[in-house]
Amino acid sequence: MDFKERILTAMNHEEPDRVPLMGLIAEPATSNRILGKQQVDFGSMLRNSELWNDLKGIMSSSWPELLYANFADALEAAIKLCFDANWAIYTRMQMVEAPKSRPGLFCHDMWGRAWEMRADEHGNVVMNYVGGVCSTEEEWNAWAERTKPLHDEHIKNVSEHHRKLADNYGDRILPIGYAGTGIFENTWQSMGFENFCRFVYQKPDFVKKVVAFQTDLYLRHLNAMMESGIEVVMGGDDFGHKTGLLVRPELIEKLFGDSYRRFSEYVHRQNKKLLWHSCGKIYALLNKLVEWGFDGLVTLEPTADMELGEVREQVGHKLVLVGNLDVSYLLVRGTKEEVEDAVRKAIKDAARGGGYILAQSHSHSLVDPMRLKWMIDAAHKYGKYPL
Amino acid sequence: MSSSVLERLKNSLLELDMETAVEAANSIVEVDDSEAVKDAVGAVADALQIVGKRFQAGEWFLAELVYAGEIVKSVMSLLSPLLEAGAMESAGTVVVGTVAGDLHDLGKNIFISYARSAGFKIIDLGIDVPTRRFVDAVREHKPLALGMSCLLTTTDMEIGRVIEELKGQNLRDKVKVIIGGAALTKQFAKDAGADAFAPDAVTGTDIIKKWSVS
Repeated sequence: MDFKERILTAMNHEEPDRVPLMGLIAEPATSNRILGKQQVDFGSMLRNSELWNDLKGIMSSSWPELLYANFADALEAAIKLCFDANWAIYTRMQMVEAPKSRPGLFCHDMWGRAWEMRADEHGNVVMNYVGGVCSTEEEWNAWAERTKPLHDEHIKNVSEHHRKLADNYGDRILPIGYAGTGIFENTWQSMGFENFCRFVYQKPDFVKKVVAFQTDLYLRHLNAMMESGIEVVMGGDDFGHKTGLLVRPELIEKLFGDSYRRFSEYVHRQNKKLLWHSCGKIYALLNKLVEWGFDGLVTLEPTADMELGEVREQVGHKLVLVGNLDVSYLLVRGTKEEVEDAVRKAIKDAARGGGYILAQSHSHSLVDPMRLKWMIDAAHKYGKYPL
Repeated sequence: MSSSVLERLKNSLLELDMETAVEAANSIVEVDDSEAVKDAVGAVADALQIVGKRFQAGEWFLAELVYAGEIVKSVMSLLSPLLEAGAMESAGTVVVGTVAGDLHDLGKNIFISYARSAGFKIIDLGIDVPTRRFVDAVREHKPLALGMSCLLTTTDMEIGRVIEELKGQNLRDKVKVIIGGAALTKQFAKDAGADAFAPDAVTGTDIIKKWSVS
């Protein structure tokens, strides 16, 4: 069985030859270490004013090429580690003038969020969400109008980005096209959570308008990915925090439910699969994910008490489960024995009958490639069907 | 002060009705009686206790907690100027900040809003706070507790650094340390030498309340 057949068999809730593995490799720090490439010291670049300006110029003029190179390396690294699939992302960042007091580069993304790009103490790039681009309805209207050309260009680049990745790597790994954060996050993050909460009670029609805008844009993004030949697409909204949902399930249904159903129907009409990512403790929303028609759930954050066995018991085989291997300790500092134990437990709790893809729960630059390798070796050792 | 106005203030908060809450607060302000204002602040505190319990019981969600905090902010901006200095006894001082390298402030701000409403004096150091500023603030304000927020695994080592520096400056035994954020766990708090881990703002405030009376 090859990588693609393995993933798609598991996604149909059938047992492949062994439990499939999906990588969430995205950071250059991780790819470079796996591929033996020299690390780029982004911190030094930020401290050097000449390089700073060069960097700004390159980011403005060559963003699609930079992002393609980043995910080409990510896929190459995932292939080297023997993952069956890895995510691939296209998003658009536009450089903006930084507040004087801030040390990083400032960007606005195409969904209406402001980011500060800076280096961690190892010199790795870190992107921090710092707020919404708009805090009033008037600002939001102006932003939506102003960024229309950027959105059109973005959709064109999405398609090209994923097509090139599929053409160049699709014979060795399954690229899973991640459309990035979804309409829930794009709605509240474009205005900030406090503003979002206020608008929900005081300006519900404005919130509906933003949701409709974000829904149309997201559908275009999903479509562009599918046009490029991607078999499995993925969206994501962090519905949960450490101890529960950010927003009442009834309100999520009221504001976003119809859009989510549209996404599923749209993807399924083209015989593709739709995975959805969410961080946080989201037991209260699992049945909704099924109802909206999503094929699977990615992440299952163990540090937010998401237990694979409990999730499987709640949703049965109505959702493919992807992830759950901890990235706060296990895949950063854990011992080989701890990684093996976690893999065995995940397989035992979720892989019977297919429908489970083993993966790290999330991605950041301190995830250790050696521990990823331990995870993969353990999955090969303990994940052969029949279990 | 008529108890019906206080009831209206409390109930409007529990019904997340900003307009009625502000209207009730205004009618209290118009009386211009510091005792009435104290009673109103008490009613707000009572309502927030119930909000916290609803949140912890899973009946209310983060968005409702945040909006209740927004209503309280609006109400308190009307009531606070009429409170005589020293009229409300502070439950204690808490220094709060997001660690160096981390720019996220949602969790921190929810905690601040909730703890402030529970009577704590908050010194908010903001985001991306270097070790030295945390330590200097502890030395300057002599708080009951230091709260550090951290969303990212890539910055969680900052918490240990601050705690080590507090030890180095002989300040560690003078302040309780509480931490919270997506990257953190109870085990992490223990390993880093913090006194407590707060999985959410309400639990964090409850922990500090216990410290303030012990």
